[in-house]
Amino acid sequence: MLEAQFIGFLLERFEQNRDKDAIVWREQVYSYAWLKDKVETWHQALIDSDIEHGHVVMVEADYSPSSIALLIALIEYQAIIVPITDSVSHKKEEFIETAQAEYLIQIAADDSCQFTSLNQNAEHDCFSKLRSEKVPGLILFSSGSTGKSKAAVHDLAKLLEKYKVPRHALRAITFLLYDHIGGVNTLLYTLSNAGCVITVADRKPDTVLAAVDKFSADLLPTSPTFINLILISEAYQRHQLTSLKTVTYGTEPMPESTLLRFNKQFPHIKLLQTYGLSELGILRSKSKDNDSLWVKIGGEGFETRVTGDNILEIKAYSGMLGYLNAPSPYTEDGWFHTGDQVEVDGEYMRILGRKSEIINVGGQKVYPAEVESVLQQLDFIAESEVYGEKNALLGNVVCAKLRLNTLAAEQDKKTLKRQIKQHCSQSLESFQVPAKFKFDDSEQFSPRFKKMRTL
Amino acid sequence: MIFENNQIQTLIFQAIDELNALREEELIDKSPSTALYGQASPLDSVDLVNLLLSIEEFLEDEFDISFTIANEKAMSLKNSPFKSVASLTDYLTTELATADS
Repeated sequence: MLEAQFIGFLLERFEQNRDKDAIVWREQVYSYAWLKDKVETWHQALIDSDIEHGHVVMVEADYSPSSIALLIALIEYQAIIVPITDSVSHKKEEFIETAQAEYLIQIAADDSCQFTSLNQNAEHDCFSKLRSEKVPGLILFSSGSTGKSKAAVHDLAKLLEKYKVPRHALRAITFLLYDHIGGVNTLLYTLSNAGCVITVADRKPDTVLAAVDKFSADLLPTSPTFINLILISEAYQRHQLTSLKTVTYGTEPMPESTLLRFNKQFPHIKLLQTYGLSELGILRSKSKDNDSLWVKIGGEGFETRVTGDNILEIKAYSGMLGYLNAPSPYTEDGWFHTGDQVEVDGEYMRILGRKSEIINVGGQKVYPAEVESVLQQLDFIAESEVYGEKNALLGNVVCAKLRLNTLAAEQDKKTLKRQIKQHCSQSLESFQVPAKFKFDDSEQFSPRFKKMRTL
Repeated sequence: MIFENNQIQTLIFQAIDELNALREEELIDKSPSTALYGQASPLDSVDLVNLLLSIEEFLEDEFDISFTIANEKAMSLKNSPFKSVASLTDYLTTELATADS
């Protein structure tokens, strides 16, 4: 048996739960006994390969039995792991260059694998630190909606610490991607508690809810955008969701109307807001209520504070070492400036949105998520994106790009606009009501089911 | 594009109709002397911006003209074109005569 230094606690739990379901992939179930064996096989394959401890190894994969076992084996092998998925295939060359990947392991759709040496040597202060401390590393790319993706380097040994505390064993859908901090968190949380990782072939509402139904998932970690898609697709009418106990949402501000509609439709499902960043990992969080956007965030290993201009700052024990391609974002006293504006009420806070996305109309602040929430109360609006446009009189005006439901798409736009403005005036101040509208048939979300802020 | 003064005035009145349709306060009078800005005006700055954007939209939809009314030039004129319906009518008639369509 493998003498494990970093993944010992995982292997121990795998051994104690040999007969339990570890992974569901393509309708097939793999046990913990199978997974443990596969991790050891992969570890041996790494020893037999040219890859050495401390090498930067890019893994191009989606969740699969092999990719999951490989990830765990690479941790033990002290590799510096760079997971990437299809969703960033157009950026692969850029990521190889930025991460200075020395090896590429590709896991194909049929779960077969291929090793490629990339003939470069990775040199960076962050890499030197990991190598001298003989610990595994993890590189995650930020979504880079504005400019180039930033590569955050983590000490995986530190990141793993929090998973050693036993928690509930859950059957979780791996909705968030393999190369996303939320995805890595779902995977490590589930496996370290001997839960079951239920993979999905794609992320259409029907596919995901069918998996919930068939494999009795009790946790779906997702995004506000996807929750909205579940509602507008009415996929929930075609599948049984009785097993589903908890839906978590994060990655972007939640429009309150979406939250209320979901809660009304599924009063038995607990809705929890999560807060995490590629740079810091996922914080523990507790929503005030199912229908509340107020959330307590922090937990062991994290401290939070709010600056004078209401920006959230976080100090994390397991925070990244630094970026590979950007200056350190930490303040002098070691806090991470999130750029997220928050409202504070005692122990709870409400995330209003990225400071850079706030629209200043004649000196008054407009939060896009708040206006989007009101727009989405209208049945004929499928998706909305609110943004600012320069205006000589007011500095900026509020604009909305809308995707209408097919029924409304044929209607006279002037009448619709008047109807929308009327609806907005009922619950928003006049400066918050969109002054300009654009109608667009295309879907407004990214492969990560996050609203694309394109305007 | 050459417009008659009364054509422009009709456009502005159409835009006032749009504002009035959403209005709970007193309705805006469709008259050349209606003040669009300042103390005597029933419009606040958000109303004014919405009025101008409506006019821009009519110009775009009906005449295929893309023209930003609240531009640098309009803002820097000594006699503000946004004073009244009449001053805005004069300003737009002059400006649109030279604007590209």
